[in-house]
Amino acid sequence: MEYGLKPLGREKLWLLALLMPTLIGLLFGALGSVIATVVLSFAKWDLLTPPTWAGTINYVSLVTDQKVLLSLTNTLKFTALYVPGVVVISLLVAVLMNRKIRGVSLFRTAYFLPAVTSAVATALVWNMIYGKDTGLLNFILERLGIPAVCWLCTDTAMYSVVAVNIWGAIGEGMIIFLAGLTAIPREYYDAADIDGANGVQQFFRLTVPLITPSIFFQGLMSTINAFQAFDYIYMLTRRGQGDSSIPVVVFSIYRNGWYFFNYGGASAQAIMLTVVVAVFMALAFWLERRYVVYE
Amino acid sequence: MKMRLFALTVLVSLLLVACGGAKTPAPAASAPAEITMMMWGDPAELDVWNQIVADFHQATPNISVKVEVSDWDSYWTKLKTLLSAGTPPDVFAMDAPLYLDYQSRGVLLNLQPYLDKNPDMLKGVYPQTLEAYKTADGMYGLPRDFQTIVLFYNKDMFDEAKVAYPSGDWTYDDLRTASKSLTKIGSDGKVTQFGFYSDLWDMELIWSEAIWAYGGDIINADHTKTLIGEPQAREAWQLFHEMMFVDKSWPDSTTAGEYGGDPFLAGVAAMTTIGHWAVPGYAEAGFKWDVAPMPKGPAGQTTSVNSAGFVVGKASKNPDAAFEFLKYVLSEPAQKRLAELGFACPVLTTVAESDAFLKQPTPIDQKIFIDSLAFAHMKPVFKGYDEWSSAIGDGMATIWTGEAELGPTLDAAVTAADEVLAKNK
Amino acid sequence: MTRQTQKLVLDFVSYGLLLLGSALMIGPFLWMISTSFKLPADQFTKTLIPPTFTFANFQELFSVDLNFPLLFWNSAYISILITAGQLLTCAMAAFCFAVVRFKGRELLFTALLLTLLIPPQVTLIPNFIIFKYLHLIGTSLPLWLPAFWGGAFGTFLLRQYFLTIPRDLVDAARVDGASLPQIFWRIYMPLAKPALAALAIFTFQGAWNDLLHPLVYLPSVPNTMLTVGLAFFQQQMTHGGKFTVLMSGALLSILPLLIVFFIAQKQFIEGISLTGIKR
Repeated sequence: MEYGLKPLGREKLWLLALLMPTLIGLLFGALGSVIATVVLSFAKWDLLTPPTWAGTINYVSLVTDQKVLLSLTNTLKFTALYVPGVVVISLLVAVLMNRKIRGVSLFRTAYFLPAVTSAVATALVWNMIYGKDTGLLNFILERLGIPAVCWLCTDTAMYSVVAVNIWGAIGEGMIIFLAGLTAIPREYYDAADIDGANGVQQFFRLTVPLITPSIFFQGLMSTINAFQAFDYIYMLTRRGQGDSSIPVVVFSIYRNGWYFFNYGGASAQAIMLTVVVAVFMALAFWLERRYVVYE
Repeated sequence: MKMRLFALTVLVSLLLVACGGAKTPAPAASAPAEITMMMWGDPAELDVWNQIVADFHQATPNISVKVEVSDWDSYWTKLKTLLSAGTPPDVFAMDAPLYLDYQSRGVLLNLQPYLDKNPDMLKGVYPQTLEAYKTADGMYGLPRDFQTIVLFYNKDMFDEAKVAYPSGDWTYDDLRTASKSLTKIGSDGKVTQFGFYSDLWDMELIWSEAIWAYGGDIINADHTKTLIGEPQAREAWQLFHEMMFVDKSWPDSTTAGEYGGDPFLAGVAAMTTIGHWAVPGYAEAGFKWDVAPMPKGPAGQTTSVNSAGFVVGKASKNPDAAFEFLKYVLSEPAQKRLAELGFACPVLTTVAESDAFLKQPTPIDQKIFIDSLAFAHMKPVFKGYDEWSSAIGDGMATIWTGEAELGPTLDAAVTAADEVLAKNK
Repeated sequence: MTRQTQKLVLDFVSYGLLLLGSALMIGPFLWMISTSFKLPADQFTKTLIPPTFTFANFQELFSVDLNFPLLFWNSAYISILITAGQLLTCAMAAFCFAVVRFKGRELLFTALLLTLLIPPQVTLIPNFIIFKYLHLIGTSLPLWLPAFWGGAFGTFLLRQYFLTIPRDLVDAARVDGASLPQIFWRIYMPLAKPALAALAIFTFQGAWNDLLHPLVYLPSVPNTMLTVGLAFFQQQMTHGGKFTVLMSGALLSILPLLIVFFIAQKQFIEGISLTGIKR
């Protein structure tokens, strides 16, 4: 997609100036994170003694270690549940809120509240809500005659944690979509009214195509967030000081790097994660080229 | 101007007085040094350590200590980050079981040369607490306090159920019987009061003690084989399992999690086994409680002893000053302050058996913690401890949520644990 | 059904749905607030109104020798610096990626996005070592200086928004003789207020809630950020079984974020009306 201004003459310097901070940051980021991680993934490092070369042994264990495969499956499952949930719900909320209704800033605050807190703080509350015998949710369910569920037991933990993560992310998505919705000029809707289109038609024919940039952004960011989800999983599913009942890749990276003196293995897992997400990213960009509408 | 002169005079006279005292160590380093000390703990501990550091500075004015305290998880993240960058703190806290993981990787300073120059320094320390730090070429760390596990019981619940308080003669069967009597089950099948609770993830709180009491062991002498699946150990596991799922007197881990992980403190369990670190927190609980020794098993009475110690980073720029601080920590004034803090037991026998420890604000039988040393086994320490205990803790976690069977899961955990041992040889 | 009735029905339905949703959204917070005013003995009760209303938890929070004002101040100025850095440098870069044609643009953008993918638990150590060699350990610089070197999330967000601004505006400005920087500052920045407000909210919140980075770069309590102080404090409260105090601490840490949100929210409304007028 070849769009854009061509910088004229001295403006080329301006281009450089505007991009300079990001270029420096990329250097930092590339050196500090990506390259270091790649190099370390071929090493054996316990953080305390100097790293030693280990060849491809970390990558081999990615395929042979059951735990790693489990963490990857969990991560993919999490993503599949989380991304559609967040995008659809926050879009719906944003659309509903974009109508000129009274008290909209109060609603905005209410929906943004979960996104504003730290997982450490709210996870405590969710533990109290999800408790099997003493939890608020089961308390309400039993009042309604529905049998209690063990929300954080291995079988249901994934769904319960995805729900909490979605709850915490709706606010962000809502804001992104609201920003995108406000960019659609009023005149378009007025013109559609004149043409006789009703609300639903307007939504699907007008709104959705015009916010595809936001959908693209939110979809991609949610996917990346899903792959890196850690806080709520750490707080809600950890058994004592040990493993999580639904370990995901980031959790495994955390334990390997910080508890098992296996920083090399953790780096290899991080690279594996990056590759998988990069595939999703490529998919997203392909979808962008086909479906996203820019004016 | 006058204030400064006055302060200087005070300082000088204090110095003279301090140097005059026989017990205070003479300053070894002549140049002024600042060392950093890092440890895990609660805000209350930070206050006391700041006091100890201030006292130390008075005794050795040319050394000042900067104290950094964090919570447990944050502490190890910080420590490993610093070590990886080659800038460790001068003195840092070490949990005895993890000690070898650090010592074997060469990041700790060998303290033996200093200890050889100060032969009387460790004379007053309980020998059991020193065991963990001894290696073939010397001691790379020193204990600063120790923990023994004892039985805590809720007096109010015992009075209400008219059950006799635990005594030093209790066996594990007595524990089980009492727990049953103290368990209350409602008409809807939900348990409203449990007889007993203890954490089963880490060995320290109950399962190592029980295994030893039944005549089993945790790991073999050269740390190549996990022994928790042997027949005698299995008796202990069987006992726990029946208490939890047959008697229902012990909440499963999911239920315990709802009470913040400590049903005893939450007032829903009548007994628990834990160490002295819980005392300050329990002191504010709304019920009367006291302590008793751990129960006996067929092979005798056992408990676990563990210590928190201090080590010196090998890359420290002020090793002499760091050692001076360690020496001070093991001296009476510092140990007294620690005893008054109430989080742990002092390693200096004279202080442990004095009023500073025995007469603390909480009116419980403090002596039990000290007396338990007589039959305490040392918590195992070996390279790869974290990963090994995770293999067992994680491996067996599904048993205690009720999702898996005891026998086969235990076997699988032992196999996984042995793999970790092989990896770390 | 007339147009008017249709609108009314839709409004009614929207209102109802939003209301129901809000209950789910803020329910846990009502719980948090309620628990923070309960006595520790009542912490497991299921009622929303505390059986005994008490301020004791907040008193305990402030009685702990943690110097909350300093923690708040540190978190505040560091978060503000980070937000300012991101708003500026991400906008600059986003403008280039969205509006200017140059060789290697797509490649550079992809490289930028790739940096998003490595989890922070892994980048912590390499970054720490770099800062060690720059002798910046012990200061707050490692926390906010990188914010002035752009960022993938912010650049991505703003780029998407910039792409929706009609090209004819730019073409018209070019005809009038505007230069690149003028187009950036005079046209795109004012129009991007909603997106900038969104980015400000996210960045501030991310910075405020970060635990991992201040933990290693500002390790000594109390001269650190609020998150580190609270984590330290929480351990004691968990040992004491005092979830009520934990809740009050959590509540206090959320308050500044809410205030920031309220302030930045106004920009939204301005943004909406601005777009209406300008077009």
